[in-house]
Amino acid sequence: MKASERINAAINLECSDRVPLAPLLDHWAATYTGITNAELMSDPDKRFNAVLKTAIDFKWDMSFLADTVNTTLLKLGVPARLKLPGIDLPERSEHQFDEKEVMTEVDFDILESDGLIALLSRLIPRIYPEMTVESAMTDFAHASTEITDQAAKLRENGIDPAVGFVIPGPSFEYFCFARSINVALTDLRRRPEKLKTAGKRFCQDMLGLAIASSGQNNISRVFIGVSRSSPVFLSNKLFEAFVLPDLELLVSGLIDANITPVFHCDTNWTKFLHYFQRFPKGKCIIELDSFTGIFKAKEILGEHMAIMGDVPSTLLAEGTKDEVMTYCKNLIEEVGRGGGFILSSGCSVPLNAKVDNVRAMTEAIEEWGWYK
Amino acid sequence: MEQLAQKFSALEENEVFKLVDEYLAKKVDPLVIVNGLSKGMEQVGQLFKDDEYALAELIYAGEIFKGAMEKVKPLLLDGENSSAGLVIMGTVEGDIHDLGKNIVITMLECSGFTVIDLGVDVPAKKFIEAIKESGAGLIGMSLLLTTAMDSLRNAIRAIEEAGIRNNIKIMIGGAPVSEHLRVETGADYLGRDAVEALTIARKVFNQSTVDAG
Repeated sequence: MKASERINAAINLECSDRVPLAPLLDHWAATYTGITNAELMSDPDKRFNAVLKTAIDFKWDMSFLADTVNTTLLKLGVPARLKLPGIDLPERSEHQFDEKEVMTEVDFDILESDGLIALLSRLIPRIYPEMTVESAMTDFAHASTEITDQAAKLRENGIDPAVGFVIPGPSFEYFCFARSINVALTDLRRRPEKLKTAGKRFCQDMLGLAIASSGQNNISRVFIGVSRSSPVFLSNKLFEAFVLPDLELLVSGLIDANITPVFHCDTNWTKFLHYFQRFPKGKCIIELDSFTGIFKAKEILGEHMAIMGDVPSTLLAEGTKDEVMTYCKNLIEEVGRGGGFILSSGCSVPLNAKVDNVRAMTEAIEEWGWYK
Repeated sequence: MEQLAQKFSALEENEVFKLVDEYLAKKVDPLVIVNGLSKGMEQVGQLFKDDEYALAELIYAGEIFKGAMEKVKPLLLDGENSSAGLVIMGTVEGDIHDLGKNIVITMLECSGFTVIDLGVDVPAKKFIEAIKESGAGLIGMSLLLTTAMDSLRNAIRAIEEAGIRNNIKIMIGGAPVSEHLRVETGADYLGRDAVEALTIARKVFNQSTVDAG
C-alpha cells in the first residue's frame, strides 16, 4: 500500500495495512545528517536533502519539509525577531524568537480595514529593519516554488509531504507574538471587539494564502498552530469568544477547498478536546505533543478525527530504546485501535534525540503496527 | 477590604482602581489596601487551582495589581513595604524563553516577595554570583527546550561545587522538567505552574497565606 493511502485512510478514520508513521521533522534533520542547524535554516537544498535522507532512512510515510525551520516562512509568519543559529546563536543550536511588542493599537485598525499584507508592511520593518514587505513577499514566492519542487521529489520517493502551508494559528496566537503575551492577554479584556473584528480579517487573509499555496504545491493539508489559545492560557469563556470563531472560519474554509486542517496542539489541550467535535467527521488531524492526554483524545475524538502523536521529546532525547518501543506499542494498540491514528513525535523530534530512539519508532511500527 | 478583594478576583480592573482611589481619599491605611489586593490575588490563585481561571487571568490579575500598587506605593512609609522574601529567577543557559519565568515573577511580586530577575540564557556563573551577592533564600530556574536540560544540570552542579548549595533552596520549572529530573539534579522543588511556585516560595520563607480583613 502507498504511503499516501495509509495517511488518507487514517484521516478517513479507517484501517489501512498498518499504522502510518510521520514524525514532525525540523532541527533533528541537521543532527542526523551532519549538517549544521545554520545550514538547515539558510540553505533550501541542504534542508531538503537532509529531510529526504531522514525520511527515507527511517521509512516514514509522511514527512514535513522542515517547514518549521524555513527561515523565510518563519520571518513572514511569526511577528517576532528570529534569532538564528550561526548568526545570533551557536551554529548547532535551534532557532528562538525574541518576543517584543511590535504591534500597536492602530495596527488593529489597519489589519481590519486593509488586510494582512498592509499589517505586515508595518510590522516587518519594525522587526527586521533590513527587510521590506516586498522583499519578504519575493522570498515567499521563491520558497513556495521550492516547496512545490520538494513535495514532488518526496512523492517520487514514496513519501507523502505533510503540509502545504503553515497557518501560525488563530488570530489570538498571532497577536500574542505581535503584541507580546501580557499585552495580548490584557487586550482580551480591554479591547475585545477590536480583537474579534481584526482577528476575523487576519483569518480570512491567512485562509486565502493557505488555499493558494496548497493549490500551488498540491499538498492538501494545512498546519494550524495552536499553543497560546490552549486551556493552559485561556478559560473556556475566553476560548469560546476569541479562538473558536477563528478556528471555525479557518476549518470550514479549508475543508470547502478540499484541504485537511492539521491542528498542531502544543501544551495540554485535554480540557478543550470536546470543542473539536464540532468539526466535520473524518476531515481533520489533531496532532498532540504528549502534554494532552492522548488516550482521552481517542475517547473524545477517536470517531471524529485522526489523532497524530505523541512520543515525548524528553523520551526521544533522554529515554532508552526500550522505553520508546514500549511507549509506541501502547500508542499503536490503544490509539491505533480501529484506525484513525498516525504515529508521530510529540511536537518536533528534538535536536538532541538519539538516533536509536527515532529508529525505535520505525521498529515499533514494523513489529506491532500491522492491522489484521 | 472584602469588596476590594472580590472586585479584584472578578478582575474588574476599573472597579478595583476606583475603590483604591476612594480608600486613599478616605485616608485608609495603605497597608490595609495592599492586604486587600493581596487577598484578591489569593482568590485568583485559588480560582486558577480550581481550573476556573487560566494563565490569561493570572497575568491580567498581575497587571491590575501593578496598576493599583502604583497608586498605593508612594503612600507606604519606609519599612512598611517589607519583603516576604528574596527570590532569584532565571531561564537557564541556551534558552531564551521567559514566559513561564515572568508569570512566576508576577505571582511572587504580587504576593510581597522581592525578585531578582537574571533574565534569560543565564550561565551557571551568573546564578552563583547572584546567590553569593544577594543572600536570597530561593532560586528558580526555568527552561523550555529539551536541549537546555543539560544547562540546568550544569547550573545546579556548579552551585554545589561552589560550596553554596546549602545556602539556598532550588526550584525548577518548565515543559521538560519532571520529578525524575528534580531527583536527578537534587533540586529541592518542582513547580508545575506559577501558583505552585508561589506555594513553594511561601513554604521556603515560612509564610502563610494572606490574612486580610
